[in-house]
Amino acid sequence: MKKYLTLLSAILIITSCDIVEGPYLTDEAINPVDTATNSYMKKVLVEDFTGHLCPNCPDAARELDAIHDIYGEQIIGMAIHVSKSFARPYPASQAPSFQYDFRTQWGDNWDNFYGISEMGLPRGMINRIGYPDNHKLSKDEWATEVSNELNKEVDFGIDINTTINSITISSNVLNNVNGYYNLVVCLTESNIINWQKDGQENVENYIHNHVLKTVLIDEGLSSTTNYIAGQTIETLINYDLATLEQYNIDYSTNNTAELGNGNAGDWNASNMSVIAYIYNTNTKEILQVEESHLNN
Amino acid sequence: MKKIASLLMVFGASFSGFSQELNTGEIHGDFDLNLQSYQEDELIGATAANEVILNNAYLNLNYIKGNFATGLRYESYLNALADYDSEFKGNGIPYKYATYSVDGLEVTVGNYYEQLGSGLIFRSYEEKGLGIDNAMDGVRLKYSPTQGTYLKTFIGKSRTHFTYSDGIFRGADLEINTNELLSSENKIKTILGGSFISRYQERSNLIFKIPQNVSAYAGRLNLMYGSWNYYGEYAYKINDPSNVLSASKMNYARGNAITQNITFSKRGFGVSAEIHRTDNMTFKSDRDKDGKAYLINYIPTLSKPHAYSLLALYPCATQADGEFGMQFDVFYKMKKGTFLGGKYGTKLAFNYSRINGLNGGNSFLNDNTEHSPMLISIENEELYFQDINLEINKKINKKIKANFVIANQTYNKDFLEGHVKGDYGVLNSTILIADISFKIKKGHSLRMELQMLNSKQLEDYSAHVGSYENGLEEPAEGDWGMGLLEYTISPHWFFTVQDMYNYGNEITEKQLHYLNITAGFIKGANRFEIGYGKKREGIFCVGGVCKLVPSSNGFNLSISSSF
Amino acid sequence: MQLKKSKMNKKTIFSFLAIALFTTFSFSQNRALPNKDVKTLDGSNFNITNLENDGNPIVISFWATWCKPCKKELNNIAEIYEDWQDETGVKLVAISIDDTRSMMRVAPYVNASDWDYEVYLDSNSELKRAMGVQTVPHTFLLNGKNEIVWQHKGYVDGDEDELLEQIQKIAK
Repeated sequence: MKKYLTLLSAILIITSCDIVEGPYLTDEAINPVDTATNSYMKKVLVEDFTGHLCPNCPDAARELDAIHDIYGEQIIGMAIHVSKSFARPYPASQAPSFQYDFRTQWGDNWDNFYGISEMGLPRGMINRIGYPDNHKLSKDEWATEVSNELNKEVDFGIDINTTINSITISSNVLNNVNGYYNLVVCLTESNIINWQKDGQENVENYIHNHVLKTVLIDEGLSSTTNYIAGQTIETLINYDLATLEQYNIDYSTNNTAELGNGNAGDWNASNMSVIAYIYNTNTKEILQVEESHLNN
Repeated sequence: MKKIASLLMVFGASFSGFSQELNTGEIHGDFDLNLQSYQEDELIGATAANEVILNNAYLNLNYIKGNFATGLRYESYLNALADYDSEFKGNGIPYKYATYSVDGLEVTVGNYYEQLGSGLIFRSYEEKGLGIDNAMDGVRLKYSPTQGTYLKTFIGKSRTHFTYSDGIFRGADLEINTNELLSSENKIKTILGGSFISRYQERSNLIFKIPQNVSAYAGRLNLMYGSWNYYGEYAYKINDPSNVLSASKMNYARGNAITQNITFSKRGFGVSAEIHRTDNMTFKSDRDKDGKAYLINYIPTLSKPHAYSLLALYPCATQADGEFGMQFDVFYKMKKGTFLGGKYGTKLAFNYSRINGLNGGNSFLNDNTEHSPMLISIENEELYFQDINLEINKKINKKIKANFVIANQTYNKDFLEGHVKGDYGVLNSTILIADISFKIKKGHSLRMELQMLNSKQLEDYSAHVGSYENGLEEPAEGDWGMGLLEYTISPHWFFTVQDMYNYGNEITEKQLHYLNITAGFIKGANRFEIGYGKKREGIFCVGGVCKLVPSSNGFNLSISSSF
Repeated sequence: MQLKKSKMNKKTIFSFLAIALFTTFSFSQNRALPNKDVKTLDGSNFNITNLENDGNPIVISFWATWCKPCKKELNNIAEIYEDWQDETGVKLVAISIDDTRSMMRVAPYVNASDWDYEVYLDSNSELKRAMGVQTVPHTFLLNGKNEIVWQHKGYVDGDEDELLEQIQKIAK
């Protein structure tokens, strides 16, 4: 009898588990992760690879919004539309549905290099961490990875200043670092109202946010590999929106293999933002990112 | 000379003593290599492989001595075949174990496979054809305390590709065979079983309460009486939400699944009926990842596995999150000499299966919504898959044997392939197959297969059906034909030529032939096969778990050997 | 002369030692069955090492209800099984690797096909792996001491003739 009792109690202990009762939202206050150095917070870039023909992708965009709601301005999102099967515009006979071509040359290049859409969409990268074997993250993994990234040291602080035809990036070195770093400056557009497949529906007035439009530069931050704390590196970029818009239109028109249709214009400058980030060219890891509305 | 002779005798005596009294153990294993070349072929959409050839190779080695065994498996992917997960890269020894048994206790350390009950809550297994191998790494104990009771318990982490998943599993199973236990000769045989599995994964969600230990329980009953056999298993899983921050996606509903089958069999006649219902039963080894490499339980699809290619063109994947299925099989042998049976007898196999969704979707529970689907609902729910088929097997005379199949399948392409409802619709296919073998002379045989598939859209199921010209990814394939000729020379040789022809494709340029030739040599424990040709892009499923196979054009080589 | 002889002695001793060691540790040609359990059609556990046939040969054939050549092999042999048994005393043990998806079809199929074989279920492939089986059908021939003396992969029409030849070689 004793034997059976001990066996039974052993079973009961081993089989304990955590049944959660509602309410499910905790009341814990969220303490924003504060690794601020010289008043620069650690910010994280979430690259959401998506497509307007991808019915599961709006869930990823909503997860990105939820992460942004929790952490605030420390989360910077970028939606990159890629792949023939998920982002091709429908033929003209189907107008007006799915006529826009959201793809860009740089988005396609990143997709090829990092191998994202070949694994199916939605999929994304958080600060490009985990390259080359663990960087393609499904949306359920984003929250954990974001919180890991936010706990890291802040090595750079980025300031963005824009005028109607130029952008000045001030990269402030906060810690002594060594290595090859590149600065990337992109333009994104939000509030694009257009078609999107969402679950079981074709949604006509879906709001597309932070969609990648162009990459202005992707080049070495400085000619040296030694960065001293306190140093500031200024980068000046001249741009012309009309020229950039035409570039995308031409890219789409010439992209016949991937069924581009040239419908990549209609940019709305007042809804555009600049995203600048610094990454290590060996590990691909993004060390700091900043976003600013395009003052036009 | 005398010295040599006596030394030789001593050695000779001890040598024969060695091999009889001291069991020195045996080494056995098997080797498998699959290699394929990939050429560019725009017509069928095949892309070339930069590596020119891709291959998977495995070597299993086992050493057995009495009640002790140890072994390992070497796997090489340089690089893996195109239909395998790209995480299979490089070489390694991902499987190694040591096991011994003494006085009824069996201990295994290292890697092992295990299944609890029918696998509803836990199954660790390998299916090389799919690229699935979620072997456990840890410790497993099996013990039979009394006659008729079987206990097993284990702890471990589950394998994914070349690493192990985050979750730590602990499980136990107890099975009681009442007839053995009570040493009775009762006409009704009963086997009872209960199993438990729990996954520990640290919680890390900022705003939601997430359980660290997610457990599942299952109870099963097997009753046998004469020609009848009943098996039923019920499984229950506690809340298992993903670690996300979108409130609408958090699902705290419990999971449950039930499977039951009844069979009746006697000489010349057998019947089997099954039913199953799953609700929220996706169980993964890492709650945040997705993909078939992370599945830790096994809920097989309730449909007949088909060997003929056109019958398996549109296979059904299990919806562990919510489906209701039923299946019915009849096997009958019409005796020889009867009118229908003919001179040698005729065998019939009839199968019917139907799978539909749950009323309103699977169970859902969070702070804002609560939904619990009805227990049994068939008519009004979305049909996922239906298959009605009849196979007739007949020996016509001493030289000719024939197999005929007639089938009708309904395949909800929108739902099963993750498309928006109405884009591709629901396909209904009627399939006819004739498989005839001729014995040419002793040891030489010629087999011919002719298959035909006639496909159409089911109007009432589709809201609107798109087309390739209007933006859909793939054209409607329409009708297919297939022909195969196989010449075999027993016991060593086989040669096959086969062609699948998509003559019904909506786009004329896509009405393609997929021609393939194969030759093989088998001798004892070795098998060599070489082939060349085109393969259609498709979905390959085993047991309800599926993988996408890209179209390819090239030659393939496969070598397997056991020693 | 004396010195030469002793050198030769050492050589022969060494070579004999080498041969003795090599033969004791060499790969065994006749291997035993692994110590694994399978299930009978009525759910009981059965250890495969307990197979016995009064010292007569045993054929173990791995098959599945979804495997056409396996069914062809077992049905072809079923027609002449009685003759084989009369002539050689052989027993055929058919081990099904059907997993939960098709396991319930095994008993109705076996009975409807009128087979007289001993049928066992290996639903998580434990025995299949232990015996080095990769694809089915895979057939083994055991002698009277339950040692594996011959094996064959695959099945084409006529292979049963070669199997019978092998059985006749070792039948009492």
